[in-house]
Amino acid sequence: MSHPIEVEGLVRRFGDIVAVAGVDLVVKQGEIFGFLGPNGAGKTTVVRMLTTLLRPSAGVARVAGHDVVSAAGAVRRSIGVALQDAAIDPLMTGRELVRLQAVLHGISRTEADRRGDVLLERVGLSLASQRRVGTYSGGMRRRLDLALALVHEPSVLFLDEPTTGLDPTSRRALWDEVRRLNHEGTTVFLTTQYLEEADVLAGRIAIIDDGRIVREGDPKVLKEAVGDYRLQVTVAPHQLPVARQALAAFGEPRPSHETAVAIGLRAGPATVSAALRALEDAGVPVEQVELDAPSLDDVFAEATGRRLEGASIPDEGGPE
Amino acid sequence: MAVVVVGERDVGFGARVALEQGRALGLRSIRGTLRQPQVWLPGLLFPIFIAAVNTSAMGRAVEFLPGFDGVDSLLDFLLVASITQSVLFGGLAAGSDTATDIQTGFFDRLLASPVSRTSILVGRLMGASVTGALQAMVFIVLYGAFGARVAAGVPGGLLLIAYAMVLALVIGGFAAMLALRTGSAEAVQNMFPLTFIVLFVSSAFFPTESMEGAYRSIASYNPVTWMVDGMRYQVIVGLDWSRAAGSLLVAAGLAALAIFGANMALRARLRRAT
Amino acid sequence: MTAPAIPAPSAFSWVPLALALGHRSLLGILRIPAAMVPLVAMPIFFLVAFSGSFSSLLALPSFPTDNVVSWFAPFAIIQGSAFAGFGIGFATVRDIETGFYDRLLLSPGSRVALLVGPALATVVRAMVTATAVLTVALVMGARIPGGALGLLVLFLAAMGTAVISAGWALGLVFRMPNQRSGPILQLVIFVCTFLSTGTVPLADQIGWTEPFARLNPLSDVLALARQGFVGEVTWAVTWPGLVALGGALVVLWVWAATGIRKLTP
Repeated sequence: MSHPIEVEGLVRRFGDIVAVAGVDLVVKQGEIFGFLGPNGAGKTTVVRMLTTLLRPSAGVARVAGHDVVSAAGAVRRSIGVALQDAAIDPLMTGRELVRLQAVLHGISRTEADRRGDVLLERVGLSLASQRRVGTYSGGMRRRLDLALALVHEPSVLFLDEPTTGLDPTSRRALWDEVRRLNHEGTTVFLTTQYLEEADVLAGRIAIIDDGRIVREGDPKVLKEAVGDYRLQVTVAPHQLPVARQALAAFGEPRPSHETAVAIGLRAGPATVSAALRALEDAGVPVEQVELDAPSLDDVFAEATGRRLEGASIPDEGGPE
Repeated sequence: MAVVVVGERDVGFGARVALEQGRALGLRSIRGTLRQPQVWLPGLLFPIFIAAVNTSAMGRAVEFLPGFDGVDSLLDFLLVASITQSVLFGGLAAGSDTATDIQTGFFDRLLASPVSRTSILVGRLMGASVTGALQAMVFIVLYGAFGARVAAGVPGGLLLIAYAMVLALVIGGFAAMLALRTGSAEAVQNMFPLTFIVLFVSSAFFPTESMEGAYRSIASYNPVTWMVDGMRYQVIVGLDWSRAAGSLLVAAGLAALAIFGANMALRARLRRAT
Repeated sequence: MTAPAIPAPSAFSWVPLALALGHRSLLGILRIPAAMVPLVAMPIFFLVAFSGSFSSLLALPSFPTDNVVSWFAPFAIIQGSAFAGFGIGFATVRDIETGFYDRLLLSPGSRVALLVGPALATVVRAMVTATAVLTVALVMGARIPGGALGLLVLFLAAMGTAVISAGWALGLVFRMPNQRSGPILQLVIFVCTFLSTGTVPLADQIGWTEPFARLNPLSDVLALARQGFVGEVTWAVTWPGLVALGGALVVLWVWAATGIRKLTP
């Protein structure tokens, strides 16, 4: 049994520029796969090749068991795609767009209307379905885009930066919907520049940089691989030497602010209470405790030597 | 130039400084135009194409039809029409540049600087006027190469250039007014069909004597007809100062009106900005 | 979610999609009727302006009619049909730039629908324009000695021109999917309509335009459209017009069909 997405040695050149330089990937049935990378790393190029919108220069890609070049039609029947920027015609109503999308996939009119009703209800757009899309908010557009991608009940769903520019409420609503779809058996290929999004949703991730996959795997395992949890305790200044001594047994010292001691917890977060007890035993009153898990940004930094710019989700999203 | 805008921030600069700033902004405007061939090239090519097609396809008109007395070739007849058409087109481009400046925020940057408010408008109009002169020269030389002659000689050629410069102020002023009122480049470009209509319902392409009925009456009351006829006389027949003065006066009157309107629009925008 | 329950497309599965896309193109007109105004106004303006400015041209020896509106109305209508391609060209560029076109390209069906749908919409737009121009022409005093048959060949020529113009526009924007294609699109259509027998019959064209007008298939299409306005409809004028339409149709639709493949390089 083949996997929903299998990619071997995928390459795409634009003239002299190599946008994708030999990507290998496997996405398994029923998982949410996060595809991460900075802008210009090759994320969208890979997605466009997997969704048949761009022909690979070399390599093989099979989606839903079909080759993206020789069986492009079969791939298109099996996949749903929610495109970056939710490109939708502002003059059409939500319902008209769902109907058009259904016709695009060869679904009859009555069936299209039935599925349209279900999907619009599902994404919470029933009331707005007769309104022109031009009047929708950013969050509504993304939800409509998701409904459009689902109209032909695809087995693999591609979401290209689905929450970029959304406010926190809309983002969380979209995440919930993606999780729900995944529980129903849809395999999801999610590209995002937000590390938190991949962390929250994806069971497995791949990080692409400069056209190559630099890390791939379970986000938790990847994070643990780059380093220890960092424990930082704030104490009274005169207690600092004692505190340092008490914590030395639990891990190597780390940089910290002036009135604190920080270490990398060698045996993981399970030893936090033991470390705090050691401080208590040494007679050091603790004013504040901070525990920082390693982040995907640390994974990215470790793999590429750079931090991912704009990777954190902005506090203020677009208006909902 | 007769434009004077004395806004509340327009103090502390003498006329010399305002003129210098106007010159700098005018140069920016000309440079901007030259660097966007897609803006001015159609304004040159379109009139040339129409003149070339009409001269060939309708060339026999000068033998058979009324109103072409003394005309050897339709190309001679169309020289003034081409200049007029090209200047109208180019002036609109200048106007939409102003609107683009407003849309991109460059206009606000100008307002935020201590630049004289007068020179913003003067700069644009000077730019349009110089571009108009260049357009007239291109047509005189190009059509000359294909056998068109200005009967009034060098003074006639200079008159045509002067006419183009004043006409550029007319269309540039109206376009700037629209740009300042609406702040939309699209609104200015929407004026394009209007200039086309005004040009067509005039004696620019065909003499009024060959027209009939209501169309003829409209054409004979069209100021474009008055301007074009006086200038065309210099091309077809020879130097006639009183006809030339008539044409230029009509153009100057319209220019004064347009610049007054643009000035009012600028004041209105400044009031909103402060 | 279960596996897709949609069968592979049959040979004519593109028909409903073409109709749906045509319908979408027309929605633009229905929702923003103002968008149709330039398309209708421009040919009417040409009709009025040419009939007014160039009325005296009819005194030239080779003009087959003494009714200036009858002479220029078919030209304005064919011109309107040729310009109808602009609309579909610009709309397609906008769809490509916004990414909406990706949605259409992701359709598993045949690409035929992506060409036929917009062409249908172009024909409908051209017919709206033709009817409006014809009405104005009749009010201005145009006569149609060729009667109903004359009107039939006029509308046939107008429809054919609209489809050809859509083929040209689509083929161009598929190869140049950005706003820069606009001026080229317009210029070519503009030059083609003017280097023809649109304003003056061949016999009275004295210069370089004559050979262009003679070879331009649009001159034959114009003759086809115009015959009922200047006399009776005859087979001798009809067949060259039909051949010109058919030839241009094949060439420009091959151009469009090969162009759409370039969109997914």
